[in-house]
Amino acid sequence: MSNCDDGLVCPNNCSAKQREKIIIDTDPGIDDSMTILMAFQTPEVEIIGLTTIFGNVTTKDATRNALLLCEAAGYPYVPVAEGSPEPLKRGEPRVADFVHGSDGLGNLFLPSPNSKKIDKSASEFLVEKVSEYPGEVSILALGPLTNLALAVKRDSTFASKVKRVVVLGGSFFALGNVNPAAEANIYGDPEAADVVFTSGANIDIVGINITTQVKLKDDDLEELKQSEGKHAKFLYDMCKFYRDWHVKSDGVYGIFLHDPVSFVALVRPELFTFKKGVVRVETQGICVGHTLMDQGLKKWNTSNPWTDYSPVSVTWTVDVDKVLNYIKKTLMKP
Amino acid sequence: MAAEPKKIIIDTDPGIDDAMAILVALQSPEVEVIGLTTIYGNVYTTLATRNALHLLEIAGRTDIPVAEGSHVTITCSPAILTIYNNVFYLIMDKGSKLRIADFVHGTDGLGNQNFPAPNGKPIEQNAAEFLVEQASLYPGKVTVVALGPLTNIALAIQSDPAFVKNIGQIVVLGGAFSVNGNVNPAAEANIFGDPDAADIVFTSGADVLAVGINVTHQVVLTDSDLDELAKCNGKFAKYLDKILGVYFGYHHDAYSIKGLSLAKLAFLVYYLVHACCSDFTGTGTHIGVFLHDPTALLAAVDPSLITYTEGVVRVQTIGITRGLTLFYNKQKRFVQQGVQVLKSLVAQKMGQLVQE
Repeated sequence: MSNCDDGLVCPNNCSAKQREKIIIDTDPGIDDSMTILMAFQTPEVEIIGLTTIFGNVTTKDATRNALLLCEAAGYPYVPVAEGSPEPLKRGEPRVADFVHGSDGLGNLFLPSPNSKKIDKSASEFLVEKVSEYPGEVSILALGPLTNLALAVKRDSTFASKVKRVVVLGGSFFALGNVNPAAEANIYGDPEAADVVFTSGANIDIVGINITTQVKLKDDDLEELKQSEGKHAKFLYDMCKFYRDWHVKSDGVYGIFLHDPVSFVALVRPELFTFKKGVVRVETQGICVGHTLMDQGLKKWNTSNPWTDYSPVSVTWTVDVDKVLNYIKKTLMKP
Repeated sequence: MAAEPKKIIIDTDPGIDDAMAILVALQSPEVEVIGLTTIYGNVYTTLATRNALHLLEIAGRTDIPVAEGSHVTITCSPAILTIYNNVFYLIMDKGSKLRIADFVHGTDGLGNQNFPAPNGKPIEQNAAEFLVEQASLYPGKVTVVALGPLTNIALAIQSDPAFVKNIGQIVVLGGAFSVNGNVNPAAEANIFGDPDAADIVFTSGADVLAVGINVTHQVVLTDSDLDELAKCNGKFAKYLDKILGVYFGYHHDAYSIKGLSLAKLAFLVYYLVHACCSDFTGTGTHIGVFLHDPTALLAAVDPSLITYTEGVVRVQTIGITRGLTLFYNKQKRFVQQGVQVLKSLVAQKMGQLVQE
């Protein structure tokens, strides 16, 4: 886990230390957009690029939205590399436009961005940046893991050179959100997720068993609207569609903060606890997309699909109040 | 307790904790064991039959019939001939090599005691036939306590469409609900033994009560409980103590179990008091063994000992998580008849029972 030595969790010391280089792999997406805008407002991190993926929207729309968000944040020169249009093996992706609106941004239908994506693909960009700064680049993965799996396959040293990968995905010993077995990001490309989780990289997984504990309720949204936050109005407007879906689907009067919580796990890991264990993803049958962690409670009699892989960290508990406060404070920053 | 004893058939692969469950059942006035059916799992089916007959002889209950069950998983069984485009296909399953847990229970299934061969013989009917017959003989009255892989029960369901209606309840020892398995991180041994059969049983519409290792792992018999068992004068105490040796050895190696609180143990203790000795207190707090099968049996004997939640259970039959049991209770519409999954034990009730 990160601690004070890497400058991440010592706000007092931050100015003296190097900012954490991060790449956000994203399918914006309403909670993705919140997260990207939060990250640009966070001095401890330096966003060295965005890579795009399908999920909440198609990859093409994700690229467009990523460019728009960089412009809105005042960072139009941050490179945006377009990712894979589809999962490793499953063809046409499933797109959750019923959650995020047909434009992915709550049906605000913003004008097209002026900036352009870079020529490199997402996996090329990931490999390039990670080898340019070995041990320094962290990746926040907010969608299906296709781009990361392609990077792992493209460069056998990628897994060892990446500083840390924080993945929003999976559901550990809890129900999924696509069906009882599977969470949406992992379901989007189960083969890729299994490649990434077994790659040996330093990985922290934040499952929806954690993220669904942190909600921005109606009165929090109202507070956001009234605040001096740089993007408060935009965020409030964008969240309406998302909020209405939560009411319908989960009976929640507010929104889950899946992606922002994962960002907090990257910059403030001390607000979470983690357990280590090997995680595999089912790619067949009725439980396709199911994430299963060996908690290491038992010595197995024979080898099994979990043996011989490096463990990853799975987020086990969350300090809900502190994480929610952190998110609200960042969203309301002038 | 004055009510008519509940008729039960124990489907079993004895097995050390199976032996305990069977002996406890035979000592419990609340139930009438109307038969044992045998299955592979802890041992091969042939040996399971032999051990079932042996246990009945030990208990002096050779009046109880033993029906031998399937020797192979359901996808390997000729019952799975299927017709497609007017052609018969025998569905074979390359993954159907039986997994036998003799490293847990000893090669003879009963702690390597090498007891003499029993005199009795199994009945002519096979397990599925016996299950179907008894269910239709006493509709709604027979509880099956399934302590091994579910092949026999699935075969009964497939051979008689009325079976799911005729059978009272099926109490399944199996699955791992929202916890790691015990064969591998995904799967519990009984379900892993025949995942296809398990999925048939769980989706059959019968009244199924699944007792997973998430519950049975809470019920631990400790070393000092065992010492006490060895010293007391219970009818089967010495016998159980003997066969438990191997089982303890396995648990010491595979798990680092510390004994759990008395509360968790109490309901088992109650039955051991009846079945084994009169002064058994069960206060041990050391390393011990899991009481999977006796726990499931007691859930059948007295459902008030446990709480459960209702929902749908499916079993993954392929892939790396083959044998995974997945429970879904989000929707309340499964209230009428569904799979009831034990969630926790009701400590209060147990306390009362022990004092009785």
